[in-house]
Amino acid sequence: MAIKPVTIAFDVMGSDHGPAEVIRGAAQLSLESPHIHALLVGDRAVIDDVLAATRHSGERISVQHASGFIAMDEKPGEALARKPDASVSVAARLVAEGEADALVSAGNTGACVLACARHFQLLPGVRRAALAAVYPTRMRHGGKEDPFSLILDVGATVEATADDLVTFAVMGAAYARIISRNEQPKVALLSNGTESTKGPRHVVEAHARIAGLPGMKFLGNVEGVDIPKGTADVVVTDGFVGNVCLKMLEGVHETVFELAQYAHKESLRWRAGLAMLAGGIQRIKDITDWEQYGGAPVLGFDRIFIKAHGRSHARAIANAGKIAAKAAANELGKSIQQGLAR
Amino acid sequence: MSLPDRIDPRPPRRIYRWDLDKTYLQTEFDSIRDILRTAFQKAHEKQAVPGASALIRELAANGDSRLCIVSGSPRQMRSVLEEKLKLDGVVWDEFVLKDNVGNLMRGRFRALRGQVGYKLPAILESRALAPLEAEEVLFGDDAEADAFIYSLYADMVAGRVDERVLTQILNQAAVYPDEVERVHAAWKKIPVSDPVRRIFIHLDRLTPPAHFADYGPRVVPIFNYFQAALVLLADGHLTAPQVIKVAVEMVQTAGHNIITLSNSFQDLLRRGLPLQQAAAALVQALEGPNALLQALRPMPDIISAFTKRLAALGTEPAPPPARAVDYLAMLHHALPRTHKTRKPPAKPPAT
Repeated sequence: MAIKPVTIAFDVMGSDHGPAEVIRGAAQLSLESPHIHALLVGDRAVIDDVLAATRHSGERISVQHASGFIAMDEKPGEALARKPDASVSVAARLVAEGEADALVSAGNTGACVLACARHFQLLPGVRRAALAAVYPTRMRHGGKEDPFSLILDVGATVEATADDLVTFAVMGAAYARIISRNEQPKVALLSNGTESTKGPRHVVEAHARIAGLPGMKFLGNVEGVDIPKGTADVVVTDGFVGNVCLKMLEGVHETVFELAQYAHKESLRWRAGLAMLAGGIQRIKDITDWEQYGGAPVLGFDRIFIKAHGRSHARAIANAGKIAAKAAANELGKSIQQGLAR
Repeated sequence: MSLPDRIDPRPPRRIYRWDLDKTYLQTEFDSIRDILRTAFQKAHEKQAVPGASALIRELAANGDSRLCIVSGSPRQMRSVLEEKLKLDGVVWDEFVLKDNVGNLMRGRFRALRGQVGYKLPAILESRALAPLEAEEVLFGDDAEADAFIYSLYADMVAGRVDERVLTQILNQAAVYPDEVERVHAAWKKIPVSDPVRRIFIHLDRLTPPAHFADYGPRVVPIFNYFQAALVLLADGHLTAPQVIKVAVEMVQTAGHNIITLSNSFQDLLRRGLPLQQAAAALVQALEGPNALLQALRPMPDIISAFTKRLAALGTEPAPPPARAVDYLAMLHHALPRTHKTRKPPAKPPAT
């Protein structure tokens, strides 16, 4: 049976590496995945210059000109108001109008979420959208044996209520089911102890309600130490805590590699030791290589939005496009809605 | 014998020159295994590039053209290739194949892979027999040196190539002396005119289009034959309903759809090809009562998809600048793709 074609809108402007990496990522996608079409939104002249010099399939790429873009350091609300033709706004509008099935952007996160909020609808029963992130873990997850879990929210909703946490649990489970082919994802609440009574009031309340959700494989509470272990497939928390956790995990990862570099320079003996560990270090690097995960979804809207890392290179953008296509093809929104209706 | 049979056929107004492998046929010859498989394939097992046979049939339907095929396939494959063309309803006027066995027997190993020494004299000799006023459109691919050979041929016939430059090219391409002689002999017989209107390069290897920019706007890299048909519509070689027939073949045989077709259309617009009028003609043809068009999708969808792709560009892109081809600077293009001194296609610009 032929796979249904999916169109992904790429916000080409606004990433840390400029438009070229996003365009090359979409070009790579056009060669690797025949059923995915890329709609590149941004400055047409720039897009055409890069595309002309990049191997791609012209049958699977189209361009929508957008004259403006929002830089990383701009205030989202003000910038969106000042620049109605910003690429992220135009791309979100095209997705809302059905010209594309999902949006991928590596630009200013705040502006992306706000542009989506303005053009997309929240799903019935969802009060606030959640920004999810994938993080590398020791344990493998789902049918694809993904070496990462999902944590949400990591910054969209700073102060979440118990209602929000329940919604996040349902949305995260639906995403894991589709993207990691994990039929029964293990969901956990992040708290300061594993007992059901531990944590602030809204966490305790959410614990009781998630435990009662039919079809949910709820592990209960997990602690911070369980995040890198990969005890749960989906870790639920509010945006403030989630963001702090995520940044700390990134910081630990960077520090470990900086220490290894320091050791490499410091003494011949340490260098020899590191050389002996080279295979293992490479393996860790492979597992923690965020570019292979592509991007993270913003969950809760009726349309799909995958936020790629601002530092994404072409490979990460292409992977983000594949995740967006998979979420669109498997009707992620519908799956979340069904979960919320239970 | 009826009266019309006794009247000589009209001289062709247009000549369409085609390569075969990777231009008309989906052929793989990157490995020994591919070559063997290709050699033993039966006619019905060979696959034409989607839309190619429909395009040839529509170009022939105008009744005043010739189809000349010059292929690098060995002469031993003539019967199977002819059978394939007949199966596809393609009628040809000239069909030249390479004498690979002869080259092998005579120890001319360079000639096995070399294209310049084979194709250039063959098409020059064909041109020498053509009427002066006949225009030409050439079809090749990005696997070998088609863009280089076709452009050189066009500029030689138009008197834009210096004899000194030609000598350097033939030397660099390691062309055998008898082939050099054939090139010069045929060239001398051709009166100076400027007949080549377009050179289409089928991007079988998806070479970035910028790789062909130095050949100027006459060379149009195409991802599929719907794109060639659109340009030929703009150039007055086809009508809009004929272009739709090419599209229908691609939809029916190769899974093309409204997205791939409208993306292909926009791709050409973005490269500055003047297709606005062709688009209008196409939309008009799509609106007419034609049951064949139902094979694509409901009419409003098609028209809307094309209109949207056109509107998405904002201002009209500038056409590519005309330029003289610097063959000496591009001598490496004349070499076989696997030659050690041939440079790879253009790399993306550094950021």
